[in-house]
Amino acid sequence: MEYKAPKEAYKGAVREVTIGKGDKTMKVGGENILPLHFFDEGSLPNPPKFVLEVLDMEPAEKTPHLMEPFGDVISDPIKWAKKCEEFGVDAVCLTLASTDPAEKDTSAEAAAQLVKRMLNEIKKPLIVYGSGDEKKDAEVLPRVAQVCAGENLLIGPVQKENFEVVGKAILDNGHVAIAQSPLDINLLKELNVKLCKFLPPERVIIDPLSSALGYGIEYSFSLIERVKQIGIITKDSMTMMPIIANLGNECWKTKQAKENKTQGLLWEGMTALSLYLAGANILILRHPETLKLIKETIGR
Amino acid sequence: MIIIGENIHVIAKDVSVALRERNMQVIQALAREQTQAGANYIDLNVGPMKKDTEETMKWLVNCVQEATDLPLSIDTMNPVATEAGLKFCKKRALINSASGKTDSKAQMLPLAKKYNCDVVVSVMTDKGMPPEIETKIESIMETVSHANELGIPNEDIWVDPIILPVSTAGEGQRIAVGNLEFIKIIQDVLPGVKSTVGLSNVSNGIPAHLRPILNRTYLVMLGRNGLYSAIADPLDQELMDLVKGKMPKVTDLIYKVMDGEEVDLASLSQEEVAYVKTASVLMAQSLYSDAWLEI
Repeated sequence: MEYKAPKEAYKGAVREVTIGKGDKTMKVGGENILPLHFFDEGSLPNPPKFVLEVLDMEPAEKTPHLMEPFGDVISDPIKWAKKCEEFGVDAVCLTLASTDPAEKDTSAEAAAQLVKRMLNEIKKPLIVYGSGDEKKDAEVLPRVAQVCAGENLLIGPVQKENFEVVGKAILDNGHVAIAQSPLDINLLKELNVKLCKFLPPERVIIDPLSSALGYGIEYSFSLIERVKQIGIITKDSMTMMPIIANLGNECWKTKQAKENKTQGLLWEGMTALSLYLAGANILILRHPETLKLIKETIGR
Repeated sequence: MIIIGENIHVIAKDVSVALRERNMQVIQALAREQTQAGANYIDLNVGPMKKDTEETMKWLVNCVQEATDLPLSIDTMNPVATEAGLKFCKKRALINSASGKTDSKAQMLPLAKKYNCDVVVSVMTDKGMPPEIETKIESIMETVSHANELGIPNEDIWVDPIILPVSTAGEGQRIAVGNLEFIKIIQDVLPGVKSTVGLSNVSNGIPAHLRPILNRTYLVMLGRNGLYSAIADPLDQELMDLVKGKMPKVTDLIYKVMDGEEVDLASLSQEEVAYVKTASVLMAQSLYSDAWLEI
């Protein structure tokens, strides 16, 4: 008797989102199959993207094996970003860590001007993360959106405390929002519902928070997995957005990654690979050798 | 549907203060209001009650019985407090609650026989709450058969599947659907038993203004599946109207959602739309979020 493998077809699909403009664009999402279910009916038109992260200030903690690949450019975010491009990234992520009131409290205007300069200097699409301080981000991110109007940047985190003001600036100035909620699928959906009352869902990427290996990765894994299942299998419109896993910084905060280079690369690599398998569409890393390692592992 | 009025509850600050200060007015007012609103029982939720157990229960039961003729539900996990209350009940009371836990089977269940009263029996066991409907049914069959051996007939037993908040990440909705199924089949499994739920737990943890519609909708759904009674808020007028069949259109809409029928929202009032959306969330037809009414 001939064996016929079952083949599933799903009713939902992740929305395809374009980031950047002109010759600096990347498309994410668009799949109508579960992660790596290539045996099912449907396709993954845009394979997951790998991004390296740059900070707008010299990292406070100088882990030697994390700093080493960048040498002296680490004091200049634009040079740092250009260096990242040499390592073959799909996009660059600039984190405006210095705007945090607990750090240097850099002004919104200065931060926005840096984003603009970087945008002009690099050849890849740009992702911009605020410091995560909801109040300060509500000043910084709208200013970034205005100064870079029309550039279709990916900007976040948009959180439940500031989604109105940040989301509005993203809408008015033609960008894409990163909607971030604290590791909870019900809260994640609630934020998307509220945001999409004024922002088209094609302009939203989900950041469910990515925990590092050994520090709660199980939660991030099952959450990403479930968002994909609910979007693709049950066609829940408010979870059918691509997912960004901002994991690099989380990994390099761990004692294990800081201890030595091999352990650090594997820590970041295993975290990235796991979240890739769960279904993340964009993965943000810190170390270029992790990038190389993971690309080799998945055969790209 | 039998409504067990939930408002005399130690978690409410005014009640706990009134108990401590022996303030009859506060307690009696709550008993009267619930009686007038149409409750069938008055629940006395006194918590674990570790201090002055006998004396406090005697005072409370007598105090409430002066204000209402309704039977009482003695709601505590402490069998000493339960017995202290039962001694003074004039009408056939309800013990709320026993369970499949070893201690409860040994100390709480026999009180139902000794005082010839009804008893709530939950699906809890020593291992905690059974996760699946099959294990809930197994656990309740075991505890009910133990009760039967003690001489308590099925007709005196009110089984409780334990309601959990619908908003707990993912699991809540699955459990809400499972409990609907439990109520639907329990009569086939244990003929003659009655049933009850702690209704408002379904909306625990969500913003206060959104809680009533979840409670009401879920009660209609459970009622359709044969629920005998619920510990609920009789002061919620709309809840009581639904229970008494005074809102047939809303009830019918909720039934349609349960049957998986398409409901045309365009022809409905805002209130009716809200009930349809709520029923859909409770049937786990769409992922729960606190913004479920806004979609």
